[in-house]
Amino acid sequence: VRCQHYPPLRALQASAALRRASDEHKKEPWTSSSQQHFDSPPAGHQPEQEPQGPRPSYTGQGGQESEDYESEEQLQHRILTAALEFVPEHGWTAEAIAEGAKTLGLSVAAAGMFHSDGSELILHFVAECNTKLSELLEKEQKLVQLGEAEKKPIDEFLRHAVEARLRMLIPYIEKWPQALSVLLLPRNIPSSLNLLTSMIDDIWHYAGDQSTDFNWYTRRAVLTGIYNTTELVMMQDSSPDFEDTWRFLENRVADAMAMSSTASQVQSTGEAVVQGLMGAAVTVSN
Amino acid sequence: VYQVFESVAKKYDVMNDSMTLGIHRVWKDILMHKMNPSPGTLLLDVAGGTGDIAFRFINYVRSVRERQLQRKLKHQQNLSWQEIFESYQKDKFNSLGDSQVVVCDINREMLKVGKQKAQHLGYSEGLSWVLGNAEELPFDDDKFDVYTIAFGIRNVTRIDLALQEAYRVLKPGGRFLCLEFSHVSNPLLSRLYDLYSFQVIPVLGEVIAGDWKSYQYLVESIRRFPPQEELKAMIEDAGFFKVHYENLNFGIVAIHSGFKL
Repeated sequence: VRCQHYPPLRALQASAALRRASDEHKKEPWTSSSQQHFDSPPAGHQPEQEPQGPRPSYTGQGGQESEDYESEEQLQHRILTAALEFVPEHGWTAEAIAEGAKTLGLSVAAAGMFHSDGSELILHFVAECNTKLSELLEKEQKLVQLGEAEKKPIDEFLRHAVEARLRMLIPYIEKWPQALSVLLLPRNIPSSLNLLTSMIDDIWHYAGDQSTDFNWYTRRAVLTGIYNTTELVMMQDSSPDFEDTWRFLENRVADAMAMSSTASQVQSTGEAVVQGLMGAAVTVSN
Repeated sequence: VYQVFESVAKKYDVMNDSMTLGIHRVWKDILMHKMNPSPGTLLLDVAGGTGDIAFRFINYVRSVRERQLQRKLKHQQNLSWQEIFESYQKDKFNSLGDSQVVVCDINREMLKVGKQKAQHLGYSEGLSWVLGNAEELPFDDDKFDVYTIAFGIRNVTRIDLALQEAYRVLKPGGRFLCLEFSHVSNPLLSRLYDLYSFQVIPVLGEVIAGDWKSYQYLVESIRRFPPQEELKAMIEDAGFFKVHYENLNFGIVAIHSGFKL
């Protein structure tokens, strides 16, 4: 029987020590000037100064909010982000997580916090990619609104969005099939399905309300199908820069568009037929 | 406590097998699986006298290391014959990957038995044997990756001190693992368990080890030991995070785990 428990607020010693250490080593000032400490992955870029949204439940209990405070979730987040760079070498495994923990100055035993099959690492990666995609689409939408860019027709938009998202897999493409199989484990299906559908919804949201004659469920299903099949094609694509994959994508999107016009054709034909029958019935009755 | 284990040391392993009908091996294997150590891990096994956990650790790390090396070799294509030859020389590659285990026990006799066992089974590298008290460990701060105490913490007089020491010697990110007899909640099983413990075990103790009293003490100390939730709270008080426990065999034994974050 496993037991989850959320302890009262306490400053995490390790993160305090790490922060002090990184103060000495990092060139850029790590301590942010804002009172709320924003925890961003320790890459070379400037930590953003905007305060993060509502923190996880830990802060609600009125604990000490010293600059060194970091919740367990944030630490786990950092470890997983650090672990990603070891994935090409070790795969999506606890080893990669252990190496990631090492780079943060933590013991390799910290990988024990996560499941030994690397599920959390993969889910973390997928969530990160989805976030990046949203940000990208958001930026482009702003450009369109400001009039600095043309609004893409729907098929081009979908192609662009799916391609951008799939390109994020390229650095990890060798080990991605392993990741896909882990995502399909019954234990992980709720989370992975959740991430997938929210990503698809996101793309449709930014695609805007263009008349496609699809209703909401059909749209979701169609794009999910396009995304999944393209992903699988990408796994065994060896053409330069994945040209074959993008061509496959183009064809699928075109199919989807054709399907919608076919559907509307069928509908109008159906209406015409019905009207004809009604007319005939009226004539006959007279 | 010292005297109990002095008399018990030589027959310790035999008694373990007969009392638990050999299941203790499975429990210890499960503990090792949970730990999932990667090569390069530094383990401190406290109250680990006869070395059961230490040997399992070495085996585990060795097999992980072998797999790692195999994978590395697979990746390296176009190996020259020279390189292939070299790769077969095990000395070149650290077969343990720099992993080490320090076995610490308060009782010299238990350590002696452990050392003999190690020699007998052929474990030479990566092992150290240290005499020490769990409430006051003879090690520096922030030294170890993993701290284990298997069936030892119930013999410690001040459990909170032992937990504090564990916290002290662990590196940031290090893991605390405790395997111990615990509370059975299922009432039917609890009755059977009590029956077995109080009727059968001391008799076995007398027959096999010639020592009724020690095993009476053992069974009573199990009953007096704090149950799962209480131990979990104590571990958290010592400063550990992400403290979980897992019941094995309906609570006869429980593994508690915590991290120094």
